[in-house]
Formats: sequence, C-alpha cells, structure tokens
Amino acid sequence: MIGVVRRAARGIREHLYLFFVATGVVAAALVLLGTFALVVVNLQGLVAGWQQDVHVSAYFQPSLGVEDWAEAKSAIAGRVEVDAVSLVSPEEAAAWMTERMPEVSEVVGELGPSALPASLEITLRAEHRGAEAVDAFAESLSASGRFAEVDYGREWVGRAGSFLELLGMLGVALGVIIAVAALFLVGNTINLVVLARRDELEILRLVGATDGYILGPFVVEGVAQGLLGALAALGCLQAVHRGLLVQLDDILPLAFGAESLHFLPAGLVLALGLGGVLIGALPAWVAGRRFLARLP
Amino acid sequence: MIPIGPVIRLYHIVKSYGDRDALRDVSVTVDKGEMVYITGPSGAGKSTLLKLLYGAELPSSGKMLIGGVDVSKLDRHSLPTLRRNMGVVFQDFKLLPRRTVGQNVAMALEVIGAAEEQVRRRVPAVLNIVGLRGREDDAAGVLSGGEKQRVAIARAIVNDPPILLADEPTGNVDGAMAVEVMEILQAINLRGTTVLVATHDVGLMDRFPYRRLRLVDGKLVAGAAPRARA
Repeated sequence: MIGVVRRAARGIREHLYLFFVATGVVAAALVLLGTFALVVVNLQGLVAGWQQDVHVSAYFQPSLGVEDWAEAKSAIAGRVEVDAVSLVSPEEAAAWMTERMPEVSEVVGELGPSALPASLEITLRAEHRGAEAVDAFAESLSASGRFAEVDYGREWVGRAGSFLELLGMLGVALGVIIAVAALFLVGNTINLVVLARRDELEILRLVGATDGYILGPFVVEGVAQGLLGALAALGCLQAVHRGLLVQLDDILPLAFGAESLHFLPAGLVLALGLGGVLIGALPAWVAGRRFLARLP
Repeated sequence: MIPIGPVIRLYHIVKSYGDRDALRDVSVTVDKGEMVYITGPSGAGKSTLLKLLYGAELPSSGKMLIGGVDVSKLDRHSLPTLRRNMGVVFQDFKLLPRRTVGQNVAMALEVIGAAEEQVRRRVPAVLNIVGLRGREDDAAGVLSGGEKQRVAIARAIVNDPPILLADEPTGNVDGAMAVEVMEILQAINLRGTTVLVATHDVGLMDRFPYRRLRLVDGKLVAGAAPRARA
C-alpha cells in the first residue's frame, strides 16, 4: 500500500498541472451539486417551516355559551393530536380585528361585541400537521356539531405538502443528472491525464506490471483529487453561504418567514465528500482500465 | 524460471491481419544461451515475430513454447509473468525522459516488488554493464541516442531475465554507437542470456556473426534450427 501511495505521489509530482486541473473539475462539479443541495435544503426548510405554522381555527355555533366553549376546549386539549389550544372570546376577536384592521373597526363597533363568534385556536403536534392528518382532525371537529366553521388553510397545507414532495423528487432527479454530468466531466479530464501518461503505462506493461500495479496509483490519485476537490467545494459553498447570510439575513425573515439560511447538514457534507472520492476514483479506474485494454 | 534446453520453440506459426499473412508457417527453435538475429527486408515480419514472443500479439494459428510453457493462447493475467522473464529493447528506447536514468532502470525492479535495498544494489551494477556507471541521476531526456539505448538495455536486463529481445536496437544510433550496443548485447549473451535481435543491418551481422533467422514475406527461409542441429 505504501508503494502504491508513493507511486501515486510521484505521478502527481510529475503531472502536477493535470492533477490540479482534474481536482478543479471535481471541485467545480461538487460546487454545482452542493449549490443545488443547498438550495433544496433551504427550500425544504422554508416550506416545512410554513407547514409548521398551520393551525386550526374552530368557530363555535352562535347558540353555544361560555360553559360549552370551556367544555369543548378541555375536550380538544385532551386529544393526542393537539399541542395547544386557546379560547378566543367574541370580545377578544373584535379587539384583535380592530387592532389589525382599523378600517373595519367602525363596523365592528356598530355590530357590538358579540358580532364575531367565539373560537378555539388549535395548534397541532408536529407529527399531525400533514395535509391528511389536518383534514381528518378538522372533519372530526365539524362532525361534533359544536362548530359553525372549521378553518385551517386547507389549500395551503395541501400545496405545501405537494410542493415538498415535488421538491424532493426534483432534488433526486436533478441530483442524479448533475452527478452523472459530473462523472462524464471528470471522466474526460481523467482521460487526458491517462493520455499524458500513456508512455509510462506502456513501459510498465512491457516490464511485466500487472493491471492492479498500474491502476493502483491511478485510483489513489483519483481519491486524492476527489478529497481535495470536495474540500475546495465545501470551502466555496461555506464562503457563498456566509456571504449570503450577511446579505440576506435582514431580508429573509420579512420576505419568507425564514429565520436564516442553513448550511448543508452533516450527512450531506459527508455525502459530498464521499461523492468527491467516487467521482475522482471511479473515472480514474475506468479510464485506466480502458487504456490498458488497448495496450499490447 | 525457464529451464535449460530449447528456450523458444515455434511450431507452424501463422499471424494474419485480415487477409494479409504477416507470418506464414514459421517453425523455429532457439536454444538457451544462444544469440540469434531475426533478419529480412522491411515488412518481412521481424517485428511481428518479436511481438508474438513478448505477448503483444497472439498467433492466428500454430504453437509457441517459451521455456516449455505454451504461450500461444496466453491470457491477459499470464502476460506479466511472461514479460518478467523477458527483457525487451526497442528502436525508440521507450524511456521516460523526465525521470532519471536510475528511475527508468528501476521500473522493471519495482513492478516485481523488489526491496529498495535490492534496487539500490542492482541499478548501479547493471548500469556498469552497459557503460553508464555513475549516471543514475542524469535525466534520461538529455542523453544521446546511444546512451538512451544503453539505459533501455539496462532496464531490460536488470531483472536478469533468461531471454532478451531487441527490435532494431541500433536503428536510432550512429555507426560507432551501434557497434557499442552490439558489444553490450554480446556481453549479455556471454553471461548466459538468450538474445534475439531483429535487424536488417548486414554490416553488424557480419561483424558479430550469429545464426540468422531470415524472413521474406512472412516466411522463414533460413536459420530455423540451431547450427548444431542444422
């Protein structure tokens, strides 16, 4: 193994320029993949965050009184799906509306404090915020007969869920396309490296080197290119992320409700590193084997 | 290792490229320790015969025994074993110009996993044989044609192979240097190595007289068997 690494190091020294070109191509491919992953991760986080905001408003039947409201509140608070529930009396609803929409305050005042129905504002537990779960929960409230209307932004929950699903599928599809393109890009660069070293390979073959002896250093060089490329790519992505944080940190919460831009999670960072090793070593092995097959 | 006795035996070898026969029904025996020329005009099949011997090509038909082993249908995995028992020298030297003389020679030792100590000992010794003592650290690219060929010969014999094949080894060097190259090959032969030299240089063959396998249009027309057997 030491011999293989030593020969790989000699190969790198002798073809330093090509080594860095190949490393640069690996890094560029990984930056492309990483940028895409960064966008997907943040979009998913954003949409998931929006979905987390979903809560159910259940408006009581006008015929029900304070005791019914309290009884209903305590019954709903005991349900397994419910994280928190608060009662909004007609007076509180009127005050809220007057505060948020001053233009209707006059109409609300004329109609009196009981113009708006009492309601329960229900926040569901995270695991019960999916479109189907919220649907089922709302239906159960409607079926109880206590509520005149149950509102939970049905369309929004559904759209957010579908968007997340679509984003996931697009992520996988585009990720595969970019990875394949990266493999071809790196493969062509490695072909140049192999061609530049054809004399050496031919001589090694003539003096009795086995395929493994010849390919070993190539693969080690590929791994080194992949690791260096991955490190460079992660450095670039980190720099871009920090740059965007500085530029967008004030805008994001206002525009999208996002707290901040997230960097790639540890699993994806590891995947990018392993991906670098793969797109460095695999084309080196394939190009080396193809070349050896043509040698006398 | 290759045993004593006939070291190379070819039986009715045919090598065809499409419709063209490069070698036609060639049968040859070469004894261990012999020095033999493969000669003939350009396109006669000299290089093709050498390619068959070092496994770069397989015969279309016929049987080839090298050291008693049938190599007519040699597979890819057995090729390194054959080549480790055989040194090959080419007209164009096939050296890596950016590496030193020592590194070029050491390649043949490194592929067989020789220890560093063995490399340090063998490389100067073999450079001494070819008259390049003390030149280990010179870049191969700056050497003259004759010196390059001597480095190529050193690389070919550094493993002490029983057989040395040389394809037009004097083709790229001037007259005086060609004689030196032949003297080195002769010295290697005298140490017990079987040497086959492909050449069409009649002057050199006359000066260093050994059996001549003469090929014309792929057909062996003279020298099929060792002199004692002829």
